[in-house]
Amino acid sequence: MKKRYWRCFVCNDIHYGIAPPELCPTCKVLNAYVEISAEEARKILGGGPDIALSKEDFRAAIERFTAGNEFEVNPDADKVALLLTGIYENEKNHGLKYCPCRLQTKDWEEDLKLVCPCHFTIHETYKGVKDGECWCGLFTRRK
Amino acid sequence: MARLVMFHGRECPHCKKMMPLVDKLEQETPVRFERLEVWHDEKNADLMRSFREAIAPKCGQQLRVPTFLNTETKDAICGEVDFEKLKDWAQKQG
Repeated sequence: MKKRYWRCFVCNDIHYGIAPPELCPTCKVLNAYVEISAEEARKILGGGPDIALSKEDFRAAIERFTAGNEFEVNPDADKVALLLTGIYENEKNHGLKYCPCRLQTKDWEEDLKLVCPCHFTIHETYKGVKDGECWCGLFTRRK
Repeated sequence: MARLVMFHGRECPHCKKMMPLVDKLEQETPVRFERLEVWHDEKNADLMRSFREAIAPKCGQQLRVPTFLNTETKDAICGEVDFEKLKDWAQKQG
């Protein structure tokens, strides 16, 4: 099933997925999403506020992301600093926050799997591994 | 002698950790690696992509760095490995 674009008719939240959310997470209205074109979605998002996310902001974001999970940001500060540099270099040079320890294939769908944070909990370096990590080591199982 | 390549990323911690082991191996044996950085050099990236069928099955079905590849036999290993494992692999390449 292909993902499509959806817009909340109340607050204009945009959702990209195979189905719309039943409850809009922003305005809490039920059954509020209507399907729209990719062009309309891009226009709505493109006209929104230009919210930058600095390396420090991203670092804080992944700390919040890990807070409720069984994994954490790697306590090795040097490793994290090197990885964040790479992630931001890749965003500047290649468009998205690609993992510095893998390489783009040039297939859009395939390469989305490399955007940090990736779905590393299914990878062999993490799943079922006591001291599991994502491939690059930015995230590690919480001890 | 086989052409051995180390595909690496400038900001990859695993690659950074493997570099001294590769240096040591080259000092101790006749093995030589061509070090090719793939995130800041598109030509190197394209070369790595051209070996995707050989590399991916050994690297979680992805193109991961570091990857050590024999470009003739297409034999590859990837990730952080200890010195002995790297040495064994390299010396088997002939």
